[in-house]
Amino acid sequence: MLVVALAGVMGAFSAFAAEQPVDANGQLADRQLQMRFEQIAKELRCLVCQNETIADSNADLAIDLRRQVREMLIAGNSDEAIFKFMTDRYGEFVRFAPPLETKTLLIWGAPFIALLLGVSIIYRVVRQRSRQPLDE
Amino acid sequence: MWKFLLPFAAFVALVVLFAFGLNPKRDIHALPSPLIGKPAPEFALTDVLDASRVVSNATLKGQVYILNVWGTWCVACREEHEALLEIAQQHAVPIIGLDWKDERARARQWLEQLGNPYQAVAFDSDGRTAIEWGVYGAPETYLVDRQGRVIYKFISPITQKVWDHEFLPRIAAASRAGA
Repeated sequence: MLVVALAGVMGAFSAFAAEQPVDANGQLADRQLQMRFEQIAKELRCLVCQNETIADSNADLAIDLRRQVREMLIAGNSDEAIFKFMTDRYGEFVRFAPPLETKTLLIWGAPFIALLLGVSIIYRVVRQRSRQPLDE
Repeated sequence: MWKFLLPFAAFVALVVLFAFGLNPKRDIHALPSPLIGKPAPEFALTDVLDASRVVSNATLKGQVYILNVWGTWCVACREEHEALLEIAQQHAVPIIGLDWKDERARARQWLEQLGNPYQAVAFDSDGRTAIEWGVYGAPETYLVDRQGRVIYKFISPITQKVWDHEFLPRIAAASRAGA
C-alpha cells in the first residue's frame, strides 16, 4: 500500500518535473536557452556589488535578475530585448561591455589613441637619437 | 617652449581629473536612474498591513508623490525612518512605501513599533516591482510628478536636510507645473 502510494507520488513528481523549464540544479531544461542564459548573465553587472556579474554574485538582487533573465528567455525574448529591458531600468552601467555608440566612442577608442600616442613618441625619440652621433 | 608647456598641461589635466574623481562628496556607487523623465512603472501589490487591500500607484495619477523603497533587513532604512516620520508630519506629498524583499510580519511589527510615515505600503516580496523601478539598494526614494513621470531619484537615507534641499524645491516646481 505504502509502496503504491510512494510510486504514485514519485510518478506525479516526475511528471511535474518534466514540465518544469528549470531542472533540479536550477538549469534551464532547454540546453540552448541555458547557454544563452549563461552568456547574458556574464554580461550583466550586479549593481549591489558593482564589480561582479550577476552570474557570479549571490546578492539577492543578482538572484532576482537571474530569475528575470530566465523567465524572459523562456518567454522567447531575444538577447537584445533582455539587455534593453535591463538598461531601460538600470542604465548603461548594468552592461559590462558598453555598446559601440557615439557617446561610448571615447571608451572604445581610448586604447587606440593611447597606442597611437605611444608609437608617435617612440618614433620621435628614435629619430632624434639616430641623428645624434654615437658617443662610444 | 613645448618642453615646459606640455608637462604643465598634463599636470593641470591631472588636477582637474582628480578634483572630479576624488571628490569626497561624490558617491561612486550612486548611479543615475534612466527612469528620470520617463513614466513611473505601474504596480498593484497587496498592502503590507492588509493583504486583502491593493496598493497601486495608478490611483495617484495627477498627484505628486514619493515612493520610498525600504525593508526591515535594511539597516540604513531604520536610520532613515525617524526623518521620514518627521517629513510625513509636514504633509507635503503622499509618501508611498515599497517594502522590498521582506516578510509581512516583520514589516508590520516595524511599522507598529517605530511608527508609520506612509500613506500606504506596497508589499513587493519577490522584488519584481523593484526591478521595474531599477531599484538596486535600499533605501531609495523616487519623486513622481502629476503626469506620472519620475522626476528625481535619491539613493541612501533621506535626512531633513536632504528633504529641504533636494525634494521640497522639486515638489514645489512639480506642483506648480501641473496646477
